[in-house]
Amino acid sequence: MRYNEKELQALSRQPAELAAELGMRGPKKGSVVKRRLVKLVVNFLFYFRTDEAEPVGALLLEHCRVAQEEPSGFSISFIEDPERKYHFECYSEEQCQEWMGALRRASYEFMRRSLIFYRNEIQKMTGKDPLEQFGISEEARFQLSGVKA
Amino acid sequence: MKLNERSVAHYALSNSPADHRGFLRTWGGPGTPPTPSGTGRRCWFVLKGNLLFSFESREARAPLGLVVLEGCTVELAEAPVPEEFAFTICFNAPGVRPYLLAADGPAAQEAWVKVLSRASFGYMRLVVRELENQLRDARQGLALHRHSSWKAGTSPCKTQPPDQLSRGLENGHTLSRDYSPMGLVEAGGSRPAGRSLAECELQGAASLLLGRGQSPVSPETSCFSTLHDWYGQEILELRRGWQQRARGSQPKCEQQDKP
Repeated sequence: MRYNEKELQALSRQPAELAAELGMRGPKKGSVVKRRLVKLVVNFLFYFRTDEAEPVGALLLEHCRVAQEEPSGFSISFIEDPERKYHFECYSEEQCQEWMGALRRASYEFMRRSLIFYRNEIQKMTGKDPLEQFGISEEARFQLSGVKA
Repeated sequence: MKLNERSVAHYALSNSPADHRGFLRTWGGPGTPPTPSGTGRRCWFVLKGNLLFSFESREARAPLGLVVLEGCTVELAEAPVPEEFAFTICFNAPGVRPYLLAADGPAAQEAWVKVLSRASFGYMRLVVRELENQLRDARQGLALHRHSSWKAGTSPCKTQPPDQLSRGLENGHTLSRDYSPMGLVEAGGSRPAGRSLAECELQGAASLLLGRGQSPVSPETSCFSTLHDWYGQEILELRRGWQQRARGSQPKCEQQDKP
């Protein structure tokens, strides 16, 4: 699959939802914990060596699972291979919770579900479709049936 | 730079809803000469959220390419072949060439330009926040309309930020909301602050305020804590009088605070 690295590098420079130096260990066997600058930008998690401007890598956060790991750490895995985990180590339990919360909100799929939920609630209460004002009420991606697909 | 490509490809092919799809002609892209020429190449494109995937064919089991639609603009463009309806995806980042794509007709061109220009995560987030505010206003409006003394703080279903929605769910994966309708058997009004919007949603916003089996003509009765306070005042009055009369004697007979 081809993609333009420069495009992702440009995205990695955008304002982050959350950024911190964390311990990180990749999913490969024998991987060791390394200090990385970890940056959450929209639905991508970028990780950098602490002395480099360009990211080492990125994780797309769609269809991922965020789990707490002992002690004060968390892991990210993806549904096609749940055993393959990226481990992160935080400074405190509080920081860990903050990251887990932000990562769970970070997917486009989550935003879409929230949007459809709010749309239905508002429609039930007011009888009006709130998406009409944006001119996007017909869009397939915001239909309830789309979610069930 | 590494990317979790296998997971990205899996997402591309998963049954989560596609926001748009269709055949487009493409020129260039990463790894091909910068000058677009000839008829290009016809590929199957699938838009999922802020990701545009291209495939060799409709049935292909692996994406050919990925464009992340962040920090870009989508504009109509001149195609190298006159009958094509072209547009470009331009990035304002150094070294990122615009993607030139073309649809079969003007309707398809318009539809693609529309969905692609609204595909960013930021746009989605903006709409979600706007709807969140609208829902909060609608709930407050309804609560006020129902009973003017119904304080927002005691409303049984406060609007929660959307992160409450997915608590315990996998990130964009599990679509079923596995909330049990426990709220139904609970007394209203004293709902702990941590209860999520989605839990309340099961009961329906209107039924929350109007239902619960109480008479809609006397809104005071629709909220257990209001009832409790109301009758509690009477009890407190009685108790105070009784205590005064008893002059502090026989404390073991004191009534409980909560009847």
